[in-house]
Amino acid sequence: MSQNPNTGPDPFTVEVIRNGLTAIAEEMSLIVMRAARSPLLREAGDLSSALTDAQGNLIAQGRDIPAHLGVMGSTVQKFLERVPANRLQPGDVWFMNLPEAGGNHLPDVKAVRPIFAEGEIQAYAVSLAHWADIGGARPGSYVPDARDAWQEGLRIPPLRVFTKDGPDREKLDVILANVRGAEEREGDILAQMASTYAADERLQEVFSRYDAATVQAAIANLHDQSETEMRAAIRTIPDGVYEGEDWLDNDGPDRDPIAVRVRIQINGDEATFDFSQTADACAGPMNATPFTTSASVFYAMKVIAGPDIQPNAGCARPLAIITREGSLLHPPMDKPVVAGNHDTSQRIVDAIFKAFEKVVPERLTAGGSTTSGLLLFSGRDPRSGKWTTLYEVHGGGEGARHDRDGMCAVRPHMSNVMNTPAEVIEANYPILIENQALRRGSGGKGRHQGGDGQVRTYLINGPEMVMTTIVERCIVPPYGLVGGEPGKTFDITLQRASGEVSQLAGKTHVSLKKGDRIIMKTSGGGGFGTPAGS
Amino acid sequence: MDGTWEVGIDIGGTFTDVIGVNSQSGEVRTSKVRSQTSDPIASIVSAYHSIGVDWENVRDLMHGTTLATNAIVEGNIAPVALVTTKGFRDTIEIGRQNRRELYRLHVPPKLPPLVPEERRIEATERIGPEGQVLEPLSGDEAARVADIVGGLGVEAAAVALQHCYVNGAHEKMLGAALEGAVKYVALSHQMSPEPREFERTNTTILNAALMPLTAGYLDKLQAGAGDTTNVHLFHSAGGMASGAAVKKRPLALALSGPAAGVAAAGKVANELKLGSAIGFDMGGTTTDTCVVIEGRVQVSSDQRLAGLPVRQLMTAVESIGAGGGSIARAEGGAVRVGPDSSGAEPGPACYGLGGVLPTVTDANMALGYLSKERLLGGVLRLDKARAETAIRSLSKVLETPAHETAIGVYRIANASMARALRRVTVERGVDARSCSLIAFGGAGPMHAVALAREFGIAKVVVPKFSSVFSALGCLTAELSYAEQHTIRMSSQQWDQERIDTRCQSIKERLAAPVLAAGNGIEDVSTSLVALIRYAGQSDTVEVPFALPCDRQALGRDFRARHKKLYGFATDEPWQFEALRVTVAAHSQSGIGDLREKALQQSTSPISVDQCWFDNNGPVSTRRFERGALPVGWDVEGPAIIEDDWSTIVVPPGATARLDPSGHLIVVTGVAP
Repeated sequence: MSQNPNTGPDPFTVEVIRNGLTAIAEEMSLIVMRAARSPLLREAGDLSSALTDAQGNLIAQGRDIPAHLGVMGSTVQKFLERVPANRLQPGDVWFMNLPEAGGNHLPDVKAVRPIFAEGEIQAYAVSLAHWADIGGARPGSYVPDARDAWQEGLRIPPLRVFTKDGPDREKLDVILANVRGAEEREGDILAQMASTYAADERLQEVFSRYDAATVQAAIANLHDQSETEMRAAIRTIPDGVYEGEDWLDNDGPDRDPIAVRVRIQINGDEATFDFSQTADACAGPMNATPFTTSASVFYAMKVIAGPDIQPNAGCARPLAIITREGSLLHPPMDKPVVAGNHDTSQRIVDAIFKAFEKVVPERLTAGGSTTSGLLLFSGRDPRSGKWTTLYEVHGGGEGARHDRDGMCAVRPHMSNVMNTPAEVIEANYPILIENQALRRGSGGKGRHQGGDGQVRTYLINGPEMVMTTIVERCIVPPYGLVGGEPGKTFDITLQRASGEVSQLAGKTHVSLKKGDRIIMKTSGGGGFGTPAGS
Repeated sequence: MDGTWEVGIDIGGTFTDVIGVNSQSGEVRTSKVRSQTSDPIASIVSAYHSIGVDWENVRDLMHGTTLATNAIVEGNIAPVALVTTKGFRDTIEIGRQNRRELYRLHVPPKLPPLVPEERRIEATERIGPEGQVLEPLSGDEAARVADIVGGLGVEAAAVALQHCYVNGAHEKMLGAALEGAVKYVALSHQMSPEPREFERTNTTILNAALMPLTAGYLDKLQAGAGDTTNVHLFHSAGGMASGAAVKKRPLALALSGPAAGVAAAGKVANELKLGSAIGFDMGGTTTDTCVVIEGRVQVSSDQRLAGLPVRQLMTAVESIGAGGGSIARAEGGAVRVGPDSSGAEPGPACYGLGGVLPTVTDANMALGYLSKERLLGGVLRLDKARAETAIRSLSKVLETPAHETAIGVYRIANASMARALRRVTVERGVDARSCSLIAFGGAGPMHAVALAREFGIAKVVVPKFSSVFSALGCLTAELSYAEQHTIRMSSQQWDQERIDTRCQSIKERLAAPVLAAGNGIEDVSTSLVALIRYAGQSDTVEVPFALPCDRQALGRDFRARHKKLYGFATDEPWQFEALRVTVAAHSQSGIGDLREKALQQSTSPISVDQCWFDNNGPVSTRRFERGALPVGWDVEGPAIIEDDWSTIVVPPGATARLDPSGHLIVVTGVAP
């Protein structure tokens, strides 16, 4: 496993090359964040960058969004299954977003660039960015009532959009004609292209300093290092078979909760995560791809056993991840998946945590507000006359741990996207935020208490808006651990200007008029340990 | 010699640096003394004595201090009451809802709020995003709020209302009402006139919380100074401010020391006409970097201090937790350098103060760069045997020869520095290859040439007085004040008069204290920068402009800069987002005029040592005393040039030369 020091590069050269490659991936992310046009990219940083080797194995990642980690590791491999490497030219940038081809959901569009040195492809640069719109049935491309993949937006199989001579205008126009906000999207595309261009330049510097054989040997060594780290991490968990399950609320307005089940086998320094017993694929957009499932498993293993493991292809080697074809986590390609990426992925982590409850409880956090809590407001701003879409995610209570209370109003686990300040919302959208407050008492009781969720009231200030919700934890509450009580469920209330009040479902779509209010209360975290006095 | 000295002092955590210049004779004196952490004024006095002056000899004292920074980092700030708009008192506890650590669940995801629930008071009032009053603040309500605050038993209050940055009337009303209730009030539209309630509120709270401490310090300082010494402080945006101005806005001291070093680097870049430059200040535990573009030190209004958001104009200093004390260790088959550090104590193994783990400094010692003869700072003798023992302990684990190990540690330290420098330059849209590297701090000059070569940088400058560089930055700073204000305007709905009027009024307000300090109007310069972006973009582009603010010219300059930064520009409408105004008195003294004490000039080395630069074995390397080098004489690498505080490594292929300006310039031997 470890490289013979007499044949490969010395450990210092490996470390110098690792720093260099990581710096390149970091630079790629900085470029996208600075130049992109989608608020999601610029404000919230919903993007990732990676370098892979010539086979598509992940070498280095720039910005570490957990939900993207398992995905980026597969994107290039799936790309190469569709596009033979001998068709690739220096200067190419290919775009793709198919969930079934190393993807997660349509809005996360990947730009892939082959990097040539010494006449051969040595690496690929990948820039993944969440576009604020990828077409489909609803503005923002979150379609709670989608019943097939095509309603979710434009499906882009690997497409050569740039060559060394520049953009292929016709292909670019096909993409732009099928998404909302063409100007903004073109900016995003250029930003992604620019980041892969920078990666190419920097890698050429690396290859001018070291010959390709040395770089490739260093990469193999880095993969081995991560494998070693992951094996060491697995060994910290006692051998055995552990089962856990958690539930999604439903896949739309009126369906039953959906089970996510895992059977984990720890065997020395290897682990198997078998999700076969998870429910069948659902009709709505809660399905998650196997790549998303891998991302959740990597995340869980990192937080439970090895926070410092370098994210690359090596850490996947001691892990076997089994998803059943036709299930929620391995859906047929015609099924919608948009919400699986950030809600079902969270439930996978929850199921894994519950499986480990009896084994390593001190390393776990009780159930938190594991949902994107997504509210998507769309409408014309009477001040500018422009169509605007606000994509807002909401954090809630963090679960408690064995030694501390959960924290209030945070994003849990797989995502870390920030909120939009009330002042920014009010300046850019026809909405007034009437309050933003902690939802006191919403955390579950326990020896340590779950964190509180938050309350935010949106008053509609324009003549007309539409709102989409993609929210979980409305029915199945965040769980307590080791005797702790669950947190309160997510609650969205619509108060019409007329005074009429109704409860909204977690996945729905409503029309709003001036004077209507949305009162959003996010879920509290679960408690840890039996509460005193019970 | 009464009242003839101008003195710059930087009070750091470990050392207080001082440089004084006699305004009549031109004599320059420098020194370094141990900081007396409990009593900064005692540090000043002992710095004075070390250069043979006292209060009565000092006409102008310009100083940088870590007073505010330490208070924040150590949580040693005054309790504060917070007044917010009704419905928003929890904003500081919700924050931006993101967590600090992605993979460490045991770490609480956010810092606790700066003001606990029981001291967060809501006022019934509401201002809209265009400044319109949606719900007026009544006099009774202001009085009610002031009453509650008065009963909390705190000295300071922060007021942060929604959208006050477009209409500060309600904040002013509350400020007036609070005057009798507390001793100090900070209003958010004055501290940080920009949207984003969480960040602005935190900035305002920090100001309020620092007011009692800062006022106490400045009063004591003024008492010491009496009537004969003018006291100025170095502020985070890169200039001097009067004590009175700092009392009103103490958070301006947040980056006082590092910003002074950067200001000096900016001056060096200007005097040597370097165009763009990277400042590289490598110390024992941290390394500060910054970028100077076309002679302008880069500033930013969006930084963090001790994990807290700070929205005010500050020199854009990027700190990384790596330095000479960074520890090298083996992990499996891999080797890492840092983030663990031996710190100031016990320090690297070669200090002989009890450290045994191999550090970057030990590698430098083992490679022969650091002298075993010279006393570091005149007091500490470095122990080469201990350094070699520490390095050998790592060699054993890695099964690599000792010198290869030392070279390896040196290279990895450079690679991780390079990664940080890459971030700083990319964020600023600068191609590092077009920059010069200005190296200072204890360890900077030792790594500078190798680091420059990583980037393809052709020229390294090790400035004179580099060991008291922040103090030098203080001494040569001009009085200046800067503010950033949000003004949103589309290029399609252009209202030139609004911008011109706003510029004029900010300019007059900022210039008032500069004029009051005795500067004539002709000595005051103003620089205006517009922050512009295309609709929907996050980052704005900085576009300098002059009054009257012409839309065509501004649009043209914006597109040109955008193209340079991002590689593209379009003809679509753009958005004026914010205005940055800096008012400064013309600089009295440049660095070029200051002369270091000359030693007997000599081109003979003080010794010839065996140093390692690669794995091919040691080479004979001449060691020179910096102060003895004649101007214009080429020192061909391999060579070492040293003084009491720093060591400049000139590897084979590089050439060093003392410039007539007194700065040492190393040509790295790579093509730019």
